[in-house]
This record gives sequence, structure tokens and C-alpha cells, in this order.
Amino acid sequence: MKLLAKTNRIYLAFSLVIYLFAGLAFYQVVRFLIYKEVESRLRVERLDFENYIQIHRAWSDSTYFIENKIDVVPAGSSVQKAEMFIDTLIRNRYDNELMPFRQLTFYTTIQGKMHRVAIRKSLIQSYQLIEVITVTMAACLGLLLLGTFWFQGKLSGRLWHPFYETLSRIKRFNLASATPLQLDKPEINEFRELNEVLRKMGDKMQQDYRSLKEFTENASHEIQTPLALINAKVEQLIQSEKLTETQTRWIEDIYQASRRMARLNQGLLLLAKIENQQFTHNQTIDLAALLAEKLDDMEEVLHHKRLSVQSQNNIPFEVQLPMPLAESLVMNLVNNAIKHNYPDGRLELVSDGNQLWLGNTGSPLTTNPERLFERFKKEGSGPDSVGLGLAIIKEICDNYGLRIRYEEHNGWHRFCISRKPEEA
Amino acid sequence: MKVLVVEDEKGLAESITDYMSKEGYLCETASTFREADERIFLYNYDCVIVDLTLPDGDGFQIIQTLKKLLATTGVIIISARNSLEDKIRGLEIGSDDYLTKPFHLSELNARVKSLIRRRNFGGHTEIRFKEIVVNPLARKVYVNGQLTVLSRKEYDLLLYFLSNIDVVLTKVSIAEHLWGDNIDSADSLDMVYSHIKNLRRKLLEKGGSDYLRSVYGIGYKFGES
Repeated sequence: MKLLAKTNRIYLAFSLVIYLFAGLAFYQVVRFLIYKEVESRLRVERLDFENYIQIHRAWSDSTYFIENKIDVVPAGSSVQKAEMFIDTLIRNRYDNELMPFRQLTFYTTIQGKMHRVAIRKSLIQSYQLIEVITVTMAACLGLLLLGTFWFQGKLSGRLWHPFYETLSRIKRFNLASATPLQLDKPEINEFRELNEVLRKMGDKMQQDYRSLKEFTENASHEIQTPLALINAKVEQLIQSEKLTETQTRWIEDIYQASRRMARLNQGLLLLAKIENQQFTHNQTIDLAALLAEKLDDMEEVLHHKRLSVQSQNNIPFEVQLPMPLAESLVMNLVNNAIKHNYPDGRLELVSDGNQLWLGNTGSPLTTNPERLFERFKKEGSGPDSVGLGLAIIKEICDNYGLRIRYEEHNGWHRFCISRKPEEA
Repeated sequence: MKVLVVEDEKGLAESITDYMSKEGYLCETASTFREADERIFLYNYDCVIVDLTLPDGDGFQIIQTLKKLLATTGVIIISARNSLEDKIRGLEIGSDDYLTKPFHLSELNARVKSLIRRRNFGGHTEIRFKEIVVNPLARKVYVNGQLTVLSRKEYDLLLYFLSNIDVVLTKVSIAEHLWGDNIDSADSLDMVYSHIKNLRRKLLEKGGSDYLRSVYGIGYKFGES
């Protein structure tokens, strides 16, 4: 949940509770005041009534205009004497509607006889008053709630804007690119400090990353020349006629080791270059055709290992890649498919335009397929393999909007290349 | 034939010179940019082998100067950088070949020879070794005057041997010569063996002597001794 949504929600819930409570309290207070007013007037009328009885000694119901205002009923002497207020509904004489009234009931002796007297007062106006007040208040409070809600939203939106800006920049930040992390200097101290810290961290990370890259590349370059020297000297050494068999074996080992190191070095250098994005000049390349071509080139090896290739009229699978990388990708795929095959095995090349796969028969995988694309992961660990082929394939795919997937199915090992969905 | 080796790694320069001298070339070395610059002004060379990264300068500049002075000199670049840009730039300014370190001396030798052959005779020269004659332009091989049909790889193999007579060629260097860097070596060594077997058989069938010898299991040697 977004920060602003969260605060808004809390704010809304809290205000609602407060407003509801305030509304209820207000209603109670107004009602109480009105009742108090009505009741005090009823008491005054009781005094008037008692005064009238004292003067006239009798009560006549003939006071027509005061509707149901005073009701005098003879009562037994056993009844309760205390005065009492109650709410009551009385039917309107004309339209038969029920009307709310407040009624004061008390007992008094008229002409020596005990009577129950009820004096009523209409509450209809008071109720209307309460209604109007309540509606007005609800409207006012509602508007206030909406207003502050809107204001609050705007305000925090503006206050947090630098934060969201920073967040989106960090998201777009690419460690490998040359451009440093660029952040604003917002007014708010906390955000400014945050940006400051982030910028420093970003710079440091980029610097470390770069120096690591440069180190890998420089080291690899520097290694090439001594390797060339070792190779040359070994080549001269084996020209000598006087070598014993043991010596030759040692020399052979040295030679093999130096060749392997050279391959390893070249692989690492290639990886560093791809990571550094040193390959430019993308071109449209049909990988399916390139793979088919490479398989043709390797015919001799395929023949030697008695491998057969199935590749029917494939739909072109076009990608944007620098040519050397496309070559490297294809070569590593093919080499991998040949290397991990068994004699009389098969290879298949399939492309449906959306994905392309090269499958090969082979013994089941012994290592974890998830870690297959890691550097120096060797399956079967042949002495000549340096374990970089799949890492190179993955690196190329990752850097050029492709996805590589491995799947094993019925003794077939497949490497599928598909396009990464365009990032939103 | 005069060859100049421009290489700052002394040991490597020495190995190249030794190897080339045995092949009958007159070799000189220059270990700095200035030395190389001086030498190409003073002498004429048939072929110059240039390392691109020199302590005091850029190998490309030497090639440019050289091409201005004498355009017929062949140029082979040897570099630790295996980059396409360098290769293209090298070709653009007139170098003939590009070898990435580490390379095989036998491979360098073969390339120098083929370069000189192309430069000096426009390829119109036959390569002779005893009863074997190779016509590089037509890619035809004659043994005792009889046409011997070789596959493409067998032909390449024979030419590689003829460029390195009496020298032990490692199996790896042969494999890389035939298939380039990119082939998985375990398979390629087996294939080298079968190609050599076929080549030897075809040469013997036409009455040639057996010049091919396996040496200590590390490689092969083509020659009389």
C-alpha cells in the first residue's frame, strides 16, 4: 500500500469517528436544551392551571382553541402523587397524523376530588428545529471532512514529492552506466540528507564496480602476453631432440595448462566486455539462420561424433545484437550441444519466430539446473572445458533483451531463447 | 627475406626470431616504438610483425608510417587485444593479418610465409618439397607428378606442414589452424588424428615417401629427419 493512501485511510477513519461522535453529542445537547425549555414552560402552565382552579374552583374543557392542551380526568385516591414528564403521540384532529407531544402529568384536588391533570405541549417545531440543525451540521462537517481530506492529500502529495522523485531515480539508476546518480536538492532537510547519502552511496558503488571491471579487464590483458611467452617457449622446447618421454609429458601438461588458461582468460575478458557494454553497432541478425549455418560449419565434428541434426524450415528469429556476440552466442550454444551429447545422439534446432531452441540428447544433468548458467559450473567437468560457455550465453542474453531458459524433457536438453517482454 | 619483429616482451621477441631464423629469414627486433620507427626508416623489410601495445607508443602508427614508406611490406599484427575494432582498423590501414596472443609460433610462421608468397609472387609460385608439389592458386597437389586429390582440410594440413618443415607441430596448434579457436579441443584432437592418417595414406598411395612422424605424442613433424 502506498504511503499516501495509508495515511489518508487512517486520517479518514479517525475523522469519521470524531465527527460521528461530535454529531451525536451535539444532537443530545440540542435535544436536552429543547426538553428543558419545554418542561419549564409546562411547569409554568401547571402553576397557571392551579391558580385558575383556586380562583374558579372548577375546570371546564371548553377551552376549545387549545388543542388537547389540558386533559383533566378524575382519578382514584390510591394513585401516585408525583409529577411526571413523558413523551407521547397524539392524533391530529384533522388529518389523523400522529404528532409528538411532551406531557406533564400531575394529580390535584378539584372540588375536593382527586383529578389527574395532563398538560401537553407540541414538540413538532422543536423536532423540526433539531432536524434542520442536524442536517446543517452534518453537511458542514461532511464538507469540512472532504475539504481537509482533499487538502491533506494535496499537502502530503507535495511534501512527499521529493521522496517519490528520489525513489524513481534510484529505480532507473544503472550501476553499469557511466552516468552518476543524479538527485535533486529538496527543501526538506530529511529528504536532502537522504539524497545526499544516496548519492554518495551510488558514486561509491559505481566507482567500485568500475574498478573491479577495469581490474578484470586489465588483468586479463596482462595475462595474455606471459601466456604467449609460455606457449612460444614450449613450442621451442619440443623442437629439441633430446627429450625423454617423462619430460615430454611434463611439457605437454604445461602446454595444456597454458592453453586452458588462455581460453579461460579469453572467456573472462569477453564477459567483462559484455558487462561493460563495449560492444556497439547492433545489427539485425537472424539467429535461427546463424545457428543453422554454424551447425553446417560443424558438420565435420558432428560427423565425427556421429550426431544427426534435425532442423526443418525454421521461421527466422531476428534479434538486435552486435555480430561478434551473435557469433559467440551461437558458437557456445552449438559447442555445448555437441559436448554434452553422446555418440549417435541427436540435435534439434527449432524456431517458431517467438522462440528459438537448440536441443540435444544427453545424459541427465547432475548439477542443479538453476545454477547451470553460473560461471565455472561444469557438467561432467571435461578437462578442456573452462565452464564459461553458458555464462557467456546468459550474459549476452541479459544484456540484449533476450531470455535464455533451460529445460530437460525426455532425455532432451533444450536451451530456449526468447525475447524479453518490453519493460513498461 | 628480411623480417622485423616489433615486440616489447623480450622473451617472446627472442622466440619469434629464433623460430624465423631457422626458417631462413633474416630477423631483427625492436622493443620500443622509437626503435621500430628508426628501423623502418633505415631499412627495407619484406615483412613486419607488430605488437599493438608498446610502452612508448601505438603499433598502428608504425604501420601507418611503414605503409607510407614502402607499401609492399607485409604487416602482421600480434596483439593481446582480441577486438574486432582493432582487427578492422588494422586491415583498414593496410595490415595483412592479425594474430591474437597467445598464438603458436608455427601458425605465425605459416602466415608470414603465405604472406610473403602472395606479396612477392602474387601467389604464382609452387611450393615444392621433394616429390610433393603444391600449386597454391589452383589448390592442387601433385606427388611424383600425379595429381593427388585432397579434401579441404587435408590440403590445409599439408600446406601447414610444408610451411613448417622439420618442426614439431603440436596437435593443438594443428587443430586451431584447421578449425580456428572456437572448436572444442577434445573432439578436434581426434579429428586431427584422422586427417593426418588420411593425408599420409593419400601421399603414400601416389608413391611419396613417409615424411610424417608422430613426436612423443605431443604433435607431428613433417620432414626427412
